[in-house]
Amino acid sequence: METRLSATATPRNQTAPHRSSKSYGFSRRSLGVELTSRLGCTPGQLTAVRIPTNRGIPKPRNITEQVDPEHIALIVKKEWKLSYVTPLYQFGHTQLQSYSRQLAAFLAAEKQQGVAVEVGQELGFKVVFTAVLGLAETDDDAETVLIQIHSKSAFAAEGEAAKLTWSGWLSCVSGDVEYLRSMPPDFTCLPLFGASGAESLTTLVKSWFERTFDCYFGPLAINSTNLEWLAALWTGCHPDTNIRYLKLAWTIPAQPPLDVSYTVHPQDAWELWNSIRQESGLRDTVDIEEVSCFIKGLESHLFRHFRIYLSAGTLTKVSTTLGSAHQDGKIRITSSDMMTSVLALLTECALLKMPV
Amino acid sequence: MSLLKPLNKLPELNTANVLLVENEELFQKKLADAIVLLENNVNVIVRLARSLPLPLESRPRIDLVVFIVHLNSEQSLLSAEASLKHLDSSYFLGKVCFLVTGARCGTLPYERLTSLKKLAATLNSPLLMTEDRTTEGVNTVAQRVLAVLRVAAGLVPMATGLYLSSLTRCTVPTDPDWQNQD
Repeated sequence: METRLSATATPRNQTAPHRSSKSYGFSRRSLGVELTSRLGCTPGQLTAVRIPTNRGIPKPRNITEQVDPEHIALIVKKEWKLSYVTPLYQFGHTQLQSYSRQLAAFLAAEKQQGVAVEVGQELGFKVVFTAVLGLAETDDDAETVLIQIHSKSAFAAEGEAAKLTWSGWLSCVSGDVEYLRSMPPDFTCLPLFGASGAESLTTLVKSWFERTFDCYFGPLAINSTNLEWLAALWTGCHPDTNIRYLKLAWTIPAQPPLDVSYTVHPQDAWELWNSIRQESGLRDTVDIEEVSCFIKGLESHLFRHFRIYLSAGTLTKVSTTLGSAHQDGKIRITSSDMMTSVLALLTECALLKMPV
Repeated sequence: MSLLKPLNKLPELNTANVLLVENEELFQKKLADAIVLLENNVNVIVRLARSLPLPLESRPRIDLVVFIVHLNSEQSLLSAEASLKHLDSSYFLGKVCFLVTGARCGTLPYERLTSLKKLAATLNSPLLMTEDRTTEGVNTVAQRVLAVLRVAAGLVPMATGLYLSSLTRCTVPTDPDWQNQD
């Protein structure tokens, strides 16, 4: 009798501290989370990720003190194609070396599949997984992982170093705390994936990740609201770092389709942004109303000159010297100072795609 | 400019009038054709407009006003909002309906659909999601609009627009995340 009692009591004792150690925030949804975890479902399932309506003002800061400059150099100035990734199951930052070997073997096996005699193919792949320490903003963020693939062609001269043919990273910067904390312990959330290099390698790397960590990759588009946020964010940095230009591109569904490219002098853009900020009283946060007011101001200026309603079309691209972003999920970050704010914004876009 | 009123003109026997309002004029023609082809028993008159108000001289009787909103442009939503001001309040007793296209597209901002849903909910009107690219989608939405139109025009015994709209109107869930939006 006693043994049976203790047997039933044990799991309760084990789970109780575990559950109470997590704080699920204050929304009503968190009640649902608590209930489902008791019913044995994944606690992350019901957690809602909210669309934010205001953000803190991003401050350009030198991250080279926290992050290895070599790692930053690998991330900036390249164009990345973004995807979202569902949480990785049993991913460990300590096992990166073994992942390197596994992925290299997988790539070689996939390349050799169905090929009887290899002619002019890459002989072997060298894969390097690196943890980019210091990019994470909060304790709940998992550290960014950088993946590089070097390959050597069959005709390369003796002693020639293998060339870097593909690189990619998985990142999480200032992710939604409530969502990250509701993650079961075996999962690592690195929702943002950027790839640069041959499309075929990207597909192979994705399929390796999907098989190994039971996750799913999907395309991440940056919608016009987020592009507007980026435009405002970069314009706001103008006094600290010269943005040189603010270039916006719209596509208007007219017959024939009309592409509008709109370049604004940085000082003018900043003055407009500053006047909007002044009007709403200089607070520490930026509201979505201020951002849309900024874009509407730019739009109405173009309308006055060319009689084109830009709001009838869609914003497809935003670029400054600090970086550029395209609607279909391509991004280029040129300045390391603004890297964390941009990555935080993109992490948020990716988290909105997570299954909830 | 005076408001458009639903009961200013006398109804004609066995006739239903629908007004399709769309700023872009991309979809209304296709939908109009589909609606006319579908209905055989009732004389359906489809009228098209880019925006309201209608010219004062030749205002016909309108039994149902359909606003077509394309989610890929902000202008579409703004124009519908501006047009709504020219409708008499008695239209909102079941004689207005909203059609949305492109809600499945992943690159569109969520805020636009949210604000449209709120608009439809505050006006007690139904919101129909539409697929405008395929003929199948156009036919489906034509059927749905016709069903609402027959009731709104008084062609269905024992049913009125007000009665139907209390069942079909868009509702915004009372969820903390929705309240967070404003």
